[in-house]
Amino acid sequence: MTESRKSRLTRPETLTAVGIILVAAGFLVPTYDLRAISALLPAAMLIGLIVLSVFLLLADQRKASAGEDAAPMTKAPKRVIGAFLMIVSYALACDFVGFYVSTAVTIPLVAWTFGYRSPVGLLIATVIVVGTIWAIFDFGMSQDFPTGRFWGR
Amino acid sequence: MYSDLLHALPDVFAWTNFAAVVIGVIAGIVVGAMPGLSATMAISVLVPFTFGLEPLVALGLMAGIYNGAMYGGAIPAVLLRIPGTPAAVATTFDGYPMAQKGEGGFALQVAVVSSSIGGIASAFALMLLAPPLSKVTLLFGPSEVFWVAVFGLASIIFLLGGNPIKGLISACFGVFVSVIGSDPIYGNDRFTFGQLEMLDGINIVILLVGLYALPPVIDLLETPLKTDGVNSSKLGTEPIWKALPRMNYWKTWLRGSLLGIWIGILPGAGGSMAAFMSYNEARRTSKNPEKWGEGEPEGVAAAEVANNADTASALIPALTLGIPGTAVAAVMLGGLLVHGLQPGPMLFRDNPDIVFGFMWQFLFGAILLVLLGGSLATNSFARLLNLPRPLLGSVIIVLMLIGVYSIHGRMFDVYLMLGFGAIGWVMDRLKFPLPPVVLGLILGGFAEENLRLALRIGRGDPMVLFQNTTSLILVALTVSVVVGPTLKKRFIDSRKKA
Repeated sequence: MTESRKSRLTRPETLTAVGIILVAAGFLVPTYDLRAISALLPAAMLIGLIVLSVFLLLADQRKASAGEDAAPMTKAPKRVIGAFLMIVSYALACDFVGFYVSTAVTIPLVAWTFGYRSPVGLLIATVIVVGTIWAIFDFGMSQDFPTGRFWGR
Repeated sequence: MYSDLLHALPDVFAWTNFAAVVIGVIAGIVVGAMPGLSATMAISVLVPFTFGLEPLVALGLMAGIYNGAMYGGAIPAVLLRIPGTPAAVATTFDGYPMAQKGEGGFALQVAVVSSSIGGIASAFALMLLAPPLSKVTLLFGPSEVFWVAVFGLASIIFLLGGNPIKGLISACFGVFVSVIGSDPIYGNDRFTFGQLEMLDGINIVILLVGLYALPPVIDLLETPLKTDGVNSSKLGTEPIWKALPRMNYWKTWLRGSLLGIWIGILPGAGGSMAAFMSYNEARRTSKNPEKWGEGEPEGVAAAEVANNADTASALIPALTLGIPGTAVAAVMLGGLLVHGLQPGPMLFRDNPDIVFGFMWQFLFGAILLVLLGGSLATNSFARLLNLPRPLLGSVIIVLMLIGVYSIHGRMFDVYLMLGFGAIGWVMDRLKFPLPPVVLGLILGGFAEENLRLALRIGRGDPMVLFQNTTSLILVALTVSVVVGPTLKKRFIDSRKKA
């Protein structure tokens, strides 16, 4: 059996190990400016991460040489990327547009996009969730939510 | 020693504290019944909402959720052969065949009674074993506390099974996150990159929500689960008091409870292992082992009693030493920290009312399972399986944002949580264990502080860490935990070859 990817360097564990090595090496730089005792634990952990990631990388490449296929991270990459993008967009929308507007749009949008297509169900769920949040957090606990940087608030 | 236990009882009966347990149990059953959601995720999402609550209200909610979710996992396990929680896998073996025969209602009643018995036994174990252990740990100085932290991390990494390299990477990541912020002794900034929001370090709740709540939400949106509702519409449930005389599983309940308690205390084991071991033992000693797997109610009893018996017992090392036995216990430690309760020896001395009240709440949560998860509720909870997963996912996203935002009232924490969530999703998919990250964050700062304190006492001489018997015992335990699994594997391999 041979590795089915175009390059064995694109195996998920190999990419993760390389990513950890690069990030950990980047974080090592500021430890030189710290007192020795302050830098002891973080430097030890970062060096540990680098060494362990090298082991992880070698183990994964050994598997690749043995013809062992790496399992894909997801069977539905578009759905996963879409889900992440929607969550990040929701956070940004809360920050820039405001919490209530973003939430009222996000709940039905996410549910509709990912397969729940009942307009009445979506409307009821959105009203219940947004109403409950307002009643408990805003009205009951005086919790302030982001009102939107676009509006200068 | 046990007088504090009795003193704490009246506080537990305050209506707010009691209501918290009731709400927690119901919420836990709901969460456990939804495949893809877990007690760990539910408690992670809940923790930030408990900031403004009294500690016993918050802890009551957590205790209720933990108990409820361990039973709730049995509902889809019985009706759909999809375990609601990992610990409910063994419940599917006989529960699903029972549901196919139209005995799904009885299977769920056996599950709820067994879960309750396991939970009660576990709560008693916590009450009896934790106080004396805490007395011993009160004698620990900085070097012993440092070694306890190292032992805790080593146990969770090496006993969790799987790949030790991945476990170590997770732990190193957790410890690294714990050092972000101001240095505890000199006060200089470490890895804050000029962000004022990071001066106080990374709040554990942000990490918990990111790691434990975001990946299940992505899963909910990634794979829509279609249920036909066939088995949930023919439960054939009779009142639970009529069903009780048919449940004569005392030996199985006793054996499963003891196994569950023991496995709960062991760091890194958890409910799935307890349920499998209890199921196998009950089957081995059964008069009719050939009927197992075809709808034997005792099989459901064996699995459910054990997976609930490890709930409170997992908190014995967590509360006394700060070493959680399971992922849920690790998240609960985070919940304690949020309320200023540092798990470990001092907890019992400084906050006896809260810690002992928490133990009572575990007991009442387990008792309430029968009342709330009984016949009528079982029917209602079974209908939860038809809730649309994308809608559920979108609501959880909103709850995550609210919870994290309300910690300090700033969006920076939300972005940080999303970053940890992305890391958590990758780790989850590549099978990096998540509990060592949480434990690393909890124990990292704790270990560093005590290491530096011990070195100061020893005027910089590292030998101060090895100068007393307790430290040496802890070092030996740590070495045995690290080397033990490798030696065991070699021993098994050599026996196989022979």
